[in-house]
Amino acid sequence: MSSNNVLGIIFSNAYDELLPEMTTFRTMGSVPFAGRYRLIDFPLSNMVNAGISQVGIITKANYRSLMDHVGNGKAWDLSRKREGMTILPPFNTTETGMSVGKLDALCGSIDYLSSSDKEYVLLTDCNVLGNIDYEDMINAHIEKNADITLAYTRGIPKQINYATEYEFGADGKIVSSKFIGNFMFETNYSTNVMVIRRSLLERLLQEAHSSRFENLESLIAMHLVHLKAYGYEQKGYIRVLSSLQDYYNVSLELLDRDNMKQIFAPDKPVYTKTRDEVPAFYGISSNVKNSLIADGCRIEGEVENCILFRGVTVAKGAKIKDSIIMQGSFVGENASLECVILDKSVAIKPGKNLCGASNFPVYVGKEIVI
Amino acid sequence: MAVKPECIAMLLAGGQGSRLGILTKQIAKPAVPYGGKYRIIDFPLSNCVNSGIYTVGVLTQYQPLELNDYIGNGQPWDLDRANGGVHILSPYQQIKGTEWYKGTANAIYQNINFIERYDPEYVLILSGDHIYKMDYAKMIEYHKKKEADCTIAMLEVPWDEASRFGLMITNEDGSIAEFEEKPKNPRSNKASMGVYVFSWKKLRKYLIEDEANENSGNDFGHDVIPAMHENGERMFAYQFDGYWKDVGTINSLWDANLDLLNPKVDLNLDDDSWKIYSRSPVAPPHFIGDNAKVINSMITEGCEIKGDIDFSVLFANVTVEEGAEVRYSIVMPGTVIKKGAVVQYSIVAENAVIEEGAVVGERPENMEVIDDWGVAVVGSGVKVGKGARVAPKEMADSNVGGEE
Repeated sequence: MSSNNVLGIIFSNAYDELLPEMTTFRTMGSVPFAGRYRLIDFPLSNMVNAGISQVGIITKANYRSLMDHVGNGKAWDLSRKREGMTILPPFNTTETGMSVGKLDALCGSIDYLSSSDKEYVLLTDCNVLGNIDYEDMINAHIEKNADITLAYTRGIPKQINYATEYEFGADGKIVSSKFIGNFMFETNYSTNVMVIRRSLLERLLQEAHSSRFENLESLIAMHLVHLKAYGYEQKGYIRVLSSLQDYYNVSLELLDRDNMKQIFAPDKPVYTKTRDEVPAFYGISSNVKNSLIADGCRIEGEVENCILFRGVTVAKGAKIKDSIIMQGSFVGENASLECVILDKSVAIKPGKNLCGASNFPVYVGKEIVI
Repeated sequence: MAVKPECIAMLLAGGQGSRLGILTKQIAKPAVPYGGKYRIIDFPLSNCVNSGIYTVGVLTQYQPLELNDYIGNGQPWDLDRANGGVHILSPYQQIKGTEWYKGTANAIYQNINFIERYDPEYVLILSGDHIYKMDYAKMIEYHKKKEADCTIAMLEVPWDEASRFGLMITNEDGSIAEFEEKPKNPRSNKASMGVYVFSWKKLRKYLIEDEANENSGNDFGHDVIPAMHENGERMFAYQFDGYWKDVGTINSLWDANLDLLNPKVDLNLDDDSWKIYSRSPVAPPHFIGDNAKVINSMITEGCEIKGDIDFSVLFANVTVEEGAEVRYSIVMPGTVIKKGAVVQYSIVAENAVIEEGAVVGERPENMEVIDDWGVAVVGSGVKVGKGARVAPKEMADSNVGGEE
C-alpha cells in the first residue's frame, strides 16, 4: 500500500478565526460535530482508513480539549511503538517567534518532518468534512509523478465565505490559484488538502524561513509555475466549514440520510473517543422527528430536525426545533428552542424561550445558564 | 512484581447457559448482549474496576471465541495493565493430560498457579451470569472485619421465590448457621448471589483436598463450601441491597432488559460514579425519521428508526423501516425489521432480518390459552420471510419461510 509511505499532518488550529464563537476555548479540531464527534475525527479517520500509520497533529493554542480527546491515539489505532500519532505543540524559539500561520507551525515541526522516513506528506486542516479517499489521492500523486497535488472539489461553494480557486492548464497542471470571496458560480475550489514530496516540503520550508514568508498557500502559489502541481478532484459529499452559519447548515444537512451515509460509510468508519454512555432513553411523553440522537440522552419532550449530542436531557413539555444541542446540555420543562446552537453543558431553565432564524442561529456558549 | 494486589478476582465464564436456548448456541452466556450496548460480563468486570480490583482471571470453556474476542486486552474496562489486568484462562494441556474444567471449584484448582503468581490475601469468586452493580471492596472489608475464611454475598428475595435459590440461615453475628439448596419449604429468604470472598490460603487448602476427593463434584456450592462449613471454618453472609438478576432464562433476560425502562426498578446505568463499561461499536448517533414514533424505549447508536417503537430496547445498528412496529421487545445489533413487520414480546438476536409483513410474538392478552404465551425468540442471522409468523414461546433457529 502506497499510503505506508505517507506521513499525515493535521493542522488542528488552522482557520480557528472562522469559528470564533466555538474556538475561543478549543481548537478547530476539537469543535464538536455530528452528535458524538470532533472535527479532527474526520481527517484522522480518513488517514487511518487510507492506511496512513504516522500522523502528526500540529497545535497552536487552546489545545487541552484536543489532547483530552485524542489521548494517545488509541481510538484510531494510532497508539503504537513504531510510528502512530504525535501531538506537535508549538515550538517557540526566538527565531520562529510565536507561531502564527501554518507555515510557521510547520517550520517549528521541521525536526519531526525530517525524522520521518516517509517519502510523502499529506497535509490537511480540520474544517474539511467528508469521507475522503486519501489513498486514491496519494496514488494519483505517485502515478503522475507530481511534485505537489492539491485537492479540490467542484461546485458552488455555498457554505464558504471565501476559498482558493484553481485554474488548470491543458495538461491538467494547476497554472494559477486565486483567493476569492462570494462565489456565485460552479468552480473548482480548494479543500486545503495536499500531498507533497517530503524533501520538497522541507526545502520550501527552509526557503520560506529565510525569506520570512508567512502563508503556506501563498508560498505554494508562488512556486506553482515551476512545480509539477496537479489537482485532485474530491468527489462526493465534501464541505468546508468557514463560519458559524456553515457549521449550522452543514450540521443540519446530516439529517439527509444520503449525506449521512456518505460521511459515515460502513466500510470507512469514523473513529472517536468512546465515553461509555448508556443508550438514549425515550420517555412516555417523548416525540422525536427527523433527528440524530447520541447515546446518553434522556428525552421526555419534543424534538424536531435536531442534532442531540451525548448526554443531553430534554425535559417534559420542552420543544426543540431546528437546533444543535451539544454534550451534556439540559433543556428544562416547557422550554422552547428554535434555530439554536447550544455549546456543551448549557442549561436552559424551565419555561425559557430562545429563537433564532435559519440564516441567523443563536449560539449559546459553553456552560451558560439561561 | 511491583505492588502485590490484596485481592484478585476469578470470574467463572465457562457456563453454557443452556436455558437461553438458541441465544447461547454460538456464544457463552456471559457474552449474551444486554441493555442496548452491554454484555452480561460487563457487569462483573465493571464492578471489579469500580471496586479497585485490577487483576481478573476470566475462566472460559464453552464457546469462548466471541467472549475472548470481546474481552480482548481488557482496554474498555481499563484492564490492560502492566501489572495485573484481565487474563483469559482456558483449560490447558498438562503433563498428566488434558482436562476440561470439571466444576467451578476445579476450574479454580486448575489455575492455582495463576493465583499464586499474585499471591493475594483474598480471592473473589464471581460468575458471569448476573446483572447487578456491587461494590466488592465493601464486601472484602466486611470479610476482613469478621476475620472470615469465606464470605458469601446474599440478598433477601421474596419468600414465594425463595425455593428457587440456594439459601442461608444466619446467626445474629452474620455467620452462617446452615445452608439449604432449593428447599421446598424455605426457612430463610437469604439467597446466595454466587459471589464469594475467600482467604486464599484457606481456599487453596480446600481446593487441593476437594480435588483429591474422588466423590466430589468439584463445585463450590455443592462441595467446597459445605466441606468448609462442616469443618467449622469462619463463614459469613454479606448482605447486598439492590438490583440483582440472574438472566439465565429467556423470560428473565427479557424481564431484565425491560427493567431498564421501568423507573421503579433500582438499576441505573446512567451513573457516572459507577459506570458500566463495554466495548462499544463504532457507529454514528441514531436517526429517528419523520414518521417514527418512539416512546418508553432505549435506542443505541447506529440505529435508523422509521417505525413505531414502544417499551423496547434496541441495540446498535438496528434498522426499523416505515410502518414496522416493535413493542415489548429486545432487538440485538444489526437486525433489520422491514416495512409493516410487527415484533412484540420478543427477543430478536443479532443480524436477523424480519421481512415485510412478518409477525414475531404475540400479546399475552390475545392468547386463547395463556399458558401458550411466552417470549418469542429469533436466532442470530435468522431470516423471517415475508408475512411469516413466529409464534409466542417459539425459538426460530433457522430461516422461517413465507411467501416469496
